[in-house]
Amino acid sequence: MKGADMIRLIIDSRLENVSLVGGAVRGIAHTLSMDSTTSYQLELCVVEAVTNGIKHAYNCQAGHSVEVDVLRYPDRLIFQICDSGESMNPAKVAPFSFDPSKIETLPERGMGIYILNSLMDEVHYETISGQNILTLIKYLKKPEKPA
Amino acid sequence: MQLKHKNINDVLIVRPLEKRIDASTAAEFKQKMGEWIDSGNRRIVLNLSEVEFIDSSGLGAIISGFKKIGNDGRLVICAVRESVMSLFRLTRMNRVFDIYASENEALDALSIKA
Repeated sequence: MKGADMIRLIIDSRLENVSLVGGAVRGIAHTLSMDSTTSYQLELCVVEAVTNGIKHAYNCQAGHSVEVDVLRYPDRLIFQICDSGESMNPAKVAPFSFDPSKIETLPERGMGIYILNSLMDEVHYETISGQNILTLIKYLKKPEKPA
Repeated sequence: MQLKHKNINDVLIVRPLEKRIDASTAAEFKQKMGEWIDSGNRRIVLNLSEVEFIDSSGLGAIISGFKKIGNDGRLVICAVRESVMSLFRLTRMNRVFDIYASENEALDALSIKA
């Protein structure tokens, strides 16, 4: 991809390493002068994606790599989170749904994909040659509507 | 995970001293909250003033405590940063939890409604 600044982060598949990626994302958000809530939400999405990879692709086993490529274009940020573990079946992801008035329906897990889909402009998942790639895209500026 | 706690008028106030409640700390947080509830605490204020980052695992751990205490008591939250509050709104947990601006307001609410 031409015209992009790129950073590649690689961590070992341990949950305590995820905050390292989070810190890097926060730093990128800072350089783009994002407000604290937007910065938090960007970090949250990448943290959710990396955590998902460690938990589900690698079953929380250390010793594997999770790679995060950050591509910065003038109008968007792209995060590609890559692992070589077990692939996710998007069709099996349960919808995020509960009744706030019924305590027994409150979810304790399964919120990650909902968060990604809610906060990111685009979310794509694919498996190529055994590598799972979750792509998150956040547009920095809305395209101007023609007059 | 460092969790500061104190008891005022039979209300347990829990204040995480960590900046993050995420997947690496959520299990420990959930266990500690569970122990406090198991030992008889029925009115709990969770003070999030020090917490700058919560992910879905951290939120799940808080929800776990809320469900564990159930209708047998109250777990309320206070001093949530605006950025973290956006996660509560996004997941509609702002409609589940009673969230107060300050610890004193949370204490007052538990005292009145207890």
